[in-house]
This record gives sequence, C-alpha cells and structure tokens, in this order.
Amino acid sequence: MTDAVDRVVPYPDRDSKPWWDCVARHELVQQRCDECAAWRWPPRAMCSACGSFAWSWQTVAGAGTVVSCIRTHHAFLPGFDAPYHTVFVSIDEQADIVMPGSWHATTAPVVGMRVRVFFDDIVVPDGDPVTLVGWRPADD
Amino acid sequence: MSTHPLRDRAAIVGVGYTDFMRNSGVSTLTLALRAISAACDDAGISFKDLDGVATHRVNDSVQGAVVLNALGMRDPKFYVDQFGGGSASHTVVGQAAMAVATGVADYVVCWRAINARSEFRMGGTGRPPPDVVEFQYQTPYGYATPPQQFASMASAYMARYGATREDFGRVAIRQRDNASRNERAMMRTPITMDDYLSSRWIVEPLCLYDCCLETDAAIAVVVTSAERARDLTHTPVLVAGAGWGGGHTLYSNHREDLATSAAADMSKRLYAMAGVGPGDIDVGCIYDAFTPLVLVQLEDYGFCAKGEAGAFVADGSFPFNPHGGHLSAGYVHGINHIAEAVEQLRGNAGARQVPGAEVALSTGQSGYVAGSSSALILRKGDRP
Repeated sequence: MTDAVDRVVPYPDRDSKPWWDCVARHELVQQRCDECAAWRWPPRAMCSACGSFAWSWQTVAGAGTVVSCIRTHHAFLPGFDAPYHTVFVSIDEQADIVMPGSWHATTAPVVGMRVRVFFDDIVVPDGDPVTLVGWRPADD
Repeated sequence: MSTHPLRDRAAIVGVGYTDFMRNSGVSTLTLALRAISAACDDAGISFKDLDGVATHRVNDSVQGAVVLNALGMRDPKFYVDQFGGGSASHTVVGQAAMAVATGVADYVVCWRAINARSEFRMGGTGRPPPDVVEFQYQTPYGYATPPQQFASMASAYMARYGATREDFGRVAIRQRDNASRNERAMMRTPITMDDYLSSRWIVEPLCLYDCCLETDAAIAVVVTSAERARDLTHTPVLVAGAGWGGGHTLYSNHREDLATSAAADMSKRLYAMAGVGPGDIDVGCIYDAFTPLVLVQLEDYGFCAKGEAGAFVADGSFPFNPHGGHLSAGYVHGINHIAEAVEQLRGNAGARQVPGAEVALSTGQSGYVAGSSSALILRKGDRP
C-alpha cells in the first residue's frame, strides 16, 4: 500500500464497472463469449467474432508477455514520480488481448519478458482505496 | 478495368494558412476564419460561394456549427464536425470530395484550427481527457499523452525489426533540413546525429527530437468538383483516392501487433481507388507526430518491406515531408500535409519543391490512438 497521492483514478462506465470491481477484489477476470468462447477486453456487450450477446466473466491466469514497454521521463500527470515504466501485456488466454499496466520490479521490463499480474493498491486523499493492474516478472 | 467512381472527380482548389505561432492570442474561431478566408482568396472565390463545411477536433476547437454561422451560411448543404485527431485529418477532405463529386454541395471548406501550444496542449492535463473510452484503462497508470502512446508503438517496432535510435534520428535530421527551406517552418536550424542522440528523453524510446512541435495555427482547403476546378485560379489538384481505415485500440482484439499500422490494410484499397502504386508516388507527406510513425508508414504504404524503412530513409532517394512536417515546420494535426502536397503538385513550393511532382500521398495518423486512420492520393490536374 503506497502513500496517499492525488492522481487520476479509474472512472468506470456501465460496461466496465464489474471489471473494475473485480480488480478491486484482486481478481483478474475477462469476458468470454458463451457461444464461441472468444475472450474480449475491455468489456462490451457483443462478441465481435460471432455477434452473441451471451457472455460470462471468467478468471484468467494473470500471466502474459510484454509486447511494448516505455519509460516516461516527463511528469505529464500529477502523482507520478518520473521516470516510471508502463508496459503493455499480451495475456496467455488470447494473444490479441493487450492490457496496459504499471511495472513493479527493480529490473527494467523488456519486450518478450514473461510476466504475471500484480494488484497495485493505491491510496488517494479523501477517496476510497483503488486497485490497479500492474505487472512483474514471472520469475520474480 | 473499371475506374473507381470517386477517382479524380473532386479537386482541392484553394489553400489558406495562418502563421505558425507559439501563442496566437486569438480564439480557434478567429484562426479558422482567417484560414478559410485565405483559402477562398487563394481559390479565387468568395466565402459566400461556400455551401459546405468539414472539420475535426478533440474537444479542443470551435464547433463546426459556430464557424458555419460566422461565415453567414444559412442553409449549408454539407456539414461534418468529426470527433478525432490526426487520424481524422484526411477523412474530412475525403468526405468533402464525395460531397462535391455527387452534387451534394458545390464548394466545401475543410479546416483544422488549434491553439495546440497556448491553449489546448494535446494530452494536456489541465482539462478533462478527450472522450476516448479506452482512456479509463490508461490514465490511472500515468499514461495519457501522445509521446507515451507513440513510444509504445516505437518499443514494439524496435523489438520486432531491430530498428535503432539512429533510424529514428535520420527522420528528424532529414525533416529539419527540409524545414530550413520552408519560410513558414517554426524550427529551421539543422540538427546533427549528435544533437539527436544527446537530446533529453521524453518517453523512452523517444527523445525530444522524435516529438513534433506544438503550434497555434489553422489551415483550410477548398474542395470542389473537377469540372468547376478547371475554371479557377490554380492548376487543380485532383483527389485521386481517399482512404478511411481502422486502427489500434484496446478494443481491437485483432490488432495486437503494434509494429504494423492499420495503413497496411487501408493502403491497398487507397492505391486501387487512385489507380496507382507506391512506385508512382513522387512525394510523400507522411504523418509525423513522432519519428517512428514515419518509418512504419513508409513500410505500410508499400515503399519498402517491413523492417526496412530505416535503410530506406538512409538511402535518401524518396522525398518525404519536404515542408519539414509536424516535427519541424509546425503541428496542424495533419492538414498541413495536405496543404504541402497541394503546393508541391502546383509546383509552388519554392526552394523545397520536389522537381516534377505529379502524384502525392498525404497521410493522417495511422490509427494508433482512438482506432482510425485516413489518407489521400492527390494528382496534378490538367490546365485547360
């Protein structure tokens, strides 16, 4: 749990609120189509593969591979101590689901690195605690 | 072989600029009106001849309807006010081309007006984020600005194809050299590879010289039918092809490869519409918010194979961004590329003229933010 900082927090919409609620409980879930079994993220009502509106939340393993990593040196947003890393991770369940996240390791991320999820609990002033999806090396 | 019904049916007949400024001191409405007035003057028409408008913005500029009314247009025949940034820059001109080619309107003015330095910095954090739905999944990680978005594709591109910082640097150096011959350009002092490599990081792997300028400016272009264009001031610049395409977003499950842009799909139908191929393009105005975007597009628009753009740029034989582009001339969110293509095809580009340019490719941002892309192929028309 980090110190309280004033920064942007998730602002869920009607599609995404259940997903963020799961993250807050340290559960990484994704939508999966009940008809064709395709995964999708971010949340939305219709499967783009088969058109079905029937779907379920399913827990995923929280493992993946870094497909892009950057290091922000310029303090664009309040509440972040530059420099900091941000990664995009392709998840094991389906390679074309690519999730952004923060980085939680002393070593720098590199493209191709195997990673696992890290739930990052943030404290904001005068607000409820929030949880973000971070990543760390699989062998850390 | 059948000809596409839009090919060469519309023309760009007027171009109007404001100065490229760090602080315009005026509203985006004033910038838009200045550029539109200048474009009408250039075309040799009155603003009262305009009967359609098309613009795009990301909550950072005056509404199209306000401009329309400021022009005294009581009964517009065509009206587009699109949400989108550089990826939408070429769609509005393509839509205007469809409107005039089909007789929906006679003269459509397209513009982009921004105080991108003094008022609404792209990704600026002093205002609510643009209405891009995926931002809720990114901004909590301190990820909200264009240098971060394009550093992400740069990282993937470098890892996939072994591109180097020197490959990016050669784009920045070339375009600065081009800008030294453009009297409108904001940055005209040449830079060296040492300058490039020693400049500060903004977002690794992008340094200062990988990033475009921020500019207060407006540019407008007037679009009319190819028939009307024959009677106007300038050599008509025909819209040979207009392309609309997709892009990368978190929602695009099928586009996981950041090292290839949506232009790889879209360019094929764009070339087919225009009836030309990459080898026919005399000059490229390639969307350059950041250097790696130029390399990826040189590949995805078919000028070289995937992974070979670094060597292709080093070879130096293909003229691109003769005005200096967003990196060195000024950032007008894509429409300055269309304006430069028009000047090159008119043969009006002075010290930076590409000799004998008859066909130009002008591209919008190839889909890395908010998931759309656009481009035009323009062709020098005949003077009667």
